[in-house]
Amino acid sequence: MKIAVLSGKGGTGKTTVTSNLAVNIPGCTLIDTDVEEPNLHIFFNFKFSQEDSIKTEYPVVDMEKCNLCGKCGDFCRYNAILPAKDRVLIFKEICHNCGGCEIVCPSKAIQYEKREIGKIYKNNSDSSIHMKYGELNIGEMSGVRIIEKLKKSVENDPIVFIDSPPGTSCATVAAVEDVDYAVIVSEPTPFGVSDMKMVVEMLREMKIPFGVVVNKAGLGNNEIYEYCNDENIKVLENIPYSREIAEFYAHGVVFSKNMQSYKELFINLFENIKTILEPVQEGGQ
Amino acid sequence: MKIAVASKGEGLKSEIDNMFGRAEYFVIVDSENTEVKSIENTAKNESNGAGGKAVKLLSNEGVEIIVAPELGPKAVTAVEAFKIKAYKKDSFKTVEEAVKAYKDGKLIEFESASVREHSGLRRA
Repeated sequence: MKIAVLSGKGGTGKTTVTSNLAVNIPGCTLIDTDVEEPNLHIFFNFKFSQEDSIKTEYPVVDMEKCNLCGKCGDFCRYNAILPAKDRVLIFKEICHNCGGCEIVCPSKAIQYEKREIGKIYKNNSDSSIHMKYGELNIGEMSGVRIIEKLKKSVENDPIVFIDSPPGTSCATVAAVEDVDYAVIVSEPTPFGVSDMKMVVEMLREMKIPFGVVVNKAGLGNNEIYEYCNDENIKVLENIPYSREIAEFYAHGVVFSKNMQSYKELFINLFENIKTILEPVQEGGQ
Repeated sequence: MKIAVASKGEGLKSEIDNMFGRAEYFVIVDSENTEVKSIENTAKNESNGAGGKAVKLLSNEGVEIIVAPELGPKAVTAVEAFKIKAYKKDSFKTVEEAVKAYKDGKLIEFESASVREHSGLRRA
């Protein structure tokens, strides 16, 4: 079972919900796909080591063969390859590695070479939770390839919680693609609700079942509840706006470890999702 | 020799744009016959690499001199590869002023990028 935790707005509590789910569900796997700034691992005292180096490819032109016909430049929609007067410019950091320029080149002058865009880290195998995170190298444009590889590496694990990047970018789509269920974490503020609506649209388009956890409940107004009611969206849990929770977070502590009453909230959240998914799974098999 | 100025509108009187790769128009002035041609910058809405594409567009028009307010790193690389010289607009406001300033030898050539990549994207 793969469950993605995501949000429209950043800082609503994705990592809070993901980490608290993980410490209360034995035998789970945890992955942080927010590869631009992974932070989930900070909340755990695990030792991490590099598991994989993620590479992308970019074109290299053999000027002995190139006749500067310009077809590669006309094809590339990202302007990553630009034939000039006596050479072909390659802006490898904006190349999306589609392979198109190699195909359209009539003189077979283009070949692809590899370069690293990021890394995947995993914790020691004797840790209580199996955990991995991806990290995009500074200056790189897209972490989608890292996210895909990260997800692939845990595809056979029984329960996987995915901490997703915020927003509705390509990276978020890659993180939630093919999950069984998505948990939207939103705060009940006008800004939070507005950004959440975009995530709802995205998940409906992707046909992924989802529910909402309202974090910092008590803040803002009732708009989130009215919207969820109107749109028939299930509000799974409310986590109150609390100084105590914020203090634990600031000290890097997964708060339900120290606040007994919240253990149940996260166990319930997981049980709730399992119940929602059960008829779907039976029907699908 | 053809001189291209990144501009907000068409014609000699129009104002110089704030960006090169994502400028609205390029006004091209032929120094030999004083012919003026304004072309829309078809590179301005590219998701990436607008600067490089704009240089290519101007090279296809036979441009040898560019006058721009700023130049990003990819545009600088492209300018060199297309054998075009790029000059800073200095404090000049209109296309006409910039062209005159170039002819009078008052403009300074760009030696490296004056802004970071994607600066044009942040303008909106």
